[in-house]
Amino acid sequence: MLAGTAPAVPVSDHNRPGWKAWALLAPMVLWLILFVVVPGLILLVYSFCERDEIGGVMFTFTWENYARVFDPVYLRIFGRSVWYAALTTAICAVVGYPVAYYIARVPETLRNKLLLLVMVPFWTSFLIRTFAWITILKQEGLLNSLVKAMGAGIGPFDLLYTPTAVVIGLVYAYLPFMILPIYGSAEKLDNSLIEAAYDLGASPVRAFSSVIVPLTMPGIAAGTLLVFVPAIGMFAITDLMGGAKVPMIGNVIQNQFLLARNWPFGAALGVVFMLMFVVTYVILQRRASRSA
Amino acid sequence: MADTDRPMIELRGVTKRFGGFTAVNRVSLTVKAGEFLTLLGPSGCGKTTLLRLLAGFEMPDEGMVLLDGEDVSHVPPYRRSVNQVFQSYALFPHLTVRENVGFGLRMQQVPVAEASDRIVAALRMVSLVEQADKYPHQMSGGQRQRVALARAIVPRPKVLLLDEPLSALDAKLRHGMQLELKRLQRKLGMTFVFVTHDQEEALTMSDRIAVINKGRIEQLGNASEIYHRPRTAFTADFIGQANLLESSVVGRNGTTARVRLETGLELVIARAELPDAASKALVSIRPEKIHISRAPVTAENVFQARIEEEIFQGATDSLQLVTDQGTRLHALVANESATQEAFHEGDTVYCSLHLDDLVIVQAE
Amino acid sequence: MKSLKQLLLALAVLAGSLGLNAAELNLFGWSEYVPQDVLDGFTKETGIKVNFETYASNEELLSKLVAGGGNYDLIQPSEYAAELMIRRKMLAPLDKAQIPNLKNVAPEFKGLAHDPKDEFTVPYMSGTVGIVVNTDKVKDSIRGYKDVFQAKFKDRLVVLDDNREIVTWALYTAGLPANEINAASLAKVRPIIAQWVKLVKVFDSGSPKTALINGDVDIGIVWSGEAALLWNEDKKFKYVLPAEGAHRFIDIFCIPADAPHKKEAHAFINYILRPDVSKIISRDFPYTNPNVEARKILSPEELANPASYPAGPAKLETFRDIGKAAADIDELMTDIKSAL
Repeated sequence: MLAGTAPAVPVSDHNRPGWKAWALLAPMVLWLILFVVVPGLILLVYSFCERDEIGGVMFTFTWENYARVFDPVYLRIFGRSVWYAALTTAICAVVGYPVAYYIARVPETLRNKLLLLVMVPFWTSFLIRTFAWITILKQEGLLNSLVKAMGAGIGPFDLLYTPTAVVIGLVYAYLPFMILPIYGSAEKLDNSLIEAAYDLGASPVRAFSSVIVPLTMPGIAAGTLLVFVPAIGMFAITDLMGGAKVPMIGNVIQNQFLLARNWPFGAALGVVFMLMFVVTYVILQRRASRSA
Repeated sequence: MADTDRPMIELRGVTKRFGGFTAVNRVSLTVKAGEFLTLLGPSGCGKTTLLRLLAGFEMPDEGMVLLDGEDVSHVPPYRRSVNQVFQSYALFPHLTVRENVGFGLRMQQVPVAEASDRIVAALRMVSLVEQADKYPHQMSGGQRQRVALARAIVPRPKVLLLDEPLSALDAKLRHGMQLELKRLQRKLGMTFVFVTHDQEEALTMSDRIAVINKGRIEQLGNASEIYHRPRTAFTADFIGQANLLESSVVGRNGTTARVRLETGLELVIARAELPDAASKALVSIRPEKIHISRAPVTAENVFQARIEEEIFQGATDSLQLVTDQGTRLHALVANESATQEAFHEGDTVYCSLHLDDLVIVQAE
Repeated sequence: MKSLKQLLLALAVLAGSLGLNAAELNLFGWSEYVPQDVLDGFTKETGIKVNFETYASNEELLSKLVAGGGNYDLIQPSEYAAELMIRRKMLAPLDKAQIPNLKNVAPEFKGLAHDPKDEFTVPYMSGTVGIVVNTDKVKDSIRGYKDVFQAKFKDRLVVLDDNREIVTWALYTAGLPANEINAASLAKVRPIIAQWVKLVKVFDSGSPKTALINGDVDIGIVWSGEAALLWNEDKKFKYVLPAEGAHRFIDIFCIPADAPHKKEAHAFINYILRPDVSKIISRDFPYTNPNVEARKILSPEELANPASYPAGPAKLETFRDIGKAAADIDELMTDIKSAL
């Protein structure tokens, strides 16, 4: 076809979704617009507004809320939230990896049963499970009674309402979100690759670090995202198991809306928080796609 | 090679069971240094388990595995100087060709400069120097196969194990690789243990072939022995093709003996083939050993037959014969030229069999 | 056109018969504060269906009302939130003719600062914020905030997770007025609070009694109702009104100006002012009952509960609205806590 002699027909035309595809996608697109895009935009608008005496939002433009986000007080809280989330993610990865790997390697019938066990906690409400932990960790609770009964001469442990309790709660809540994606990767891992590593002189440790971990990296990345991101914003566990002593960014945001009557500032915190998610996501995606 | 008789691998009464299934049943075998040994058998015969016992992926339930005189029965794979080329190649998808080939050297902590030289040398040997920085998924099946080969050779193992490495290649590429592998093995002087179910591949490449059936070695010998003097009906049938005919012994006479087939056709065989007390014998005749002519010939074992079916196969003609007595035989004749003496369905011909081409085998 | 009208009419009739127009009441109240028995009894007696939604703080209530969510008919703020709403003309005046049981309200709960003419509000329950001590563990005499926040009680304390409460206690301790909060007064109490939060083991407004019952702490500064429940559980839990001064709160019922079911709301207020109903509320939530007729039928033991009906003179004050200072308090407390 000579250039300019005939209307150019885009070659990729039939690769574009037709109206049928759009019709199928419509419920999801609508859902996204209604519950993600619109609230996000409202949050963005609020974050540049001022508040009035009673806690209403006044639509006068200001940068003040963002300036306050970068106040050392809130940066420190952001930093602490990130640190707790990172610690939680690391522990989840270290604890969850062997579990996920083991499940992926057992015969299929047993595998399905073990997967079910991983998901069993979701059958009960999250709050009930958190209260169960309080029963375990409290001073006169199950753990300390057990230690006492064993007569080991240690304890009682003062665990509840400490940072340790918060991390225990966070790890407990998010562990399945680490196990499941790693399981997904490990299950697809070809056993002959591991044998090849052994065959070429890799000890189990070297085979793990040089072959198994790189090949299950997509699962680790997905798990990290699924644990790290919500763990930053978690506030119920910090309140219930940490005694509400140390505020996390989730608590601060919650307080702006419910206690301090300062929606614009809460919105600004939320927007910055969301940007952090996006950045984390992009970094992890890049890394995962590079190693895949 | 001065020490070709030195045993590199010795298996002594090795048994491996999986639950109630005995995959390898009291196998004893010696592989000499620098030898190309093929384990040949149908799928499920135990040849792959045997290879995995050598690699160290399986530990024997009974017996011993010796590598270069050292008992390695319970030594893990990463401490054995044995490398394997996997059927699926098992190339690490996250590493480049260079990194794949260098993996073994990295594990052995070979200095970087030396490793780099050895990697390039290995890649040159398999003509892949140009592809060193590609990833496995960017390469063709044949190229991947050669990467797997280079990766297994580079650590200079005492034994190279090859698990049906050519089965995923197309026929033409496979033939090329068979010859290339054989040349490589001679050049390196390395001991190769090759697993295949393809008898032609085994015959082409091996110094010796171990025919495996039901977890045991059915027969061990060089290609010619295995082909021409199969000891069992299984070997005769699995390697090439064979007419297996049941007969009863009707007389012994000096160096020969006479046997009669169920149809009444009588054949003369070498007496040495026949155990002294035997009254029955299973005769194996390779199809291409049946000589066919239109004119009568004077020789041993001459009989008439009618061509019931003729199939043109290119280099050969495949003929289904029925003798006057009613015995059915499969014969192959060379297609020497397009015009000369073609056989057709319905023709009556004279068949002759040389004494040495009638082999008595053990029934299964 | 005509058939369309008929169709709409039919639909309206159908909707009516399905109960869409039936009498109902949208109640927005504190969580854990209105007994289910009372709601069920009201519906049984009047046929009015109660849609009950809850909140956990006055600020949450204000946020939701300002945001314009929900068509609430009856709300249950504390006095300072009600004061703000009265000033902002967010409440409907009460029609006292519809609430004959108003006569049961004790005189001391009438004509209070937040609603001097009792035009908009009816008291529901009243209480104080005071100190509860596990006397098995703590032998010292605890009389005020200063006795609670001592180094030797580090990690043995539970206090309300309520920033304004904590700031108020500090203001009392410093001898400052509790309802005049500004930058200067906050600067003065800052070091006091910074000292205090280091000693606290748990901040909990929802159920501070839990940590005390579990034995995780020995002293608490809590709602008097929580302390009363602890006393009912075990007499070792003693309630003390802080000597420096204490917050008295009055939780009230009032009707939003735009409430769609004002008649039902009045009916509900009248219902809970009945002595027999009020007694049920006292049974479940043993705060100070402002209903004199109900108090007459409470058991002697209920009346003897020192947390519900504290004896002796004490400096008690209600909260007043502090406007934007609420945000300053939040920032101060976040700053202090995040330094822990």
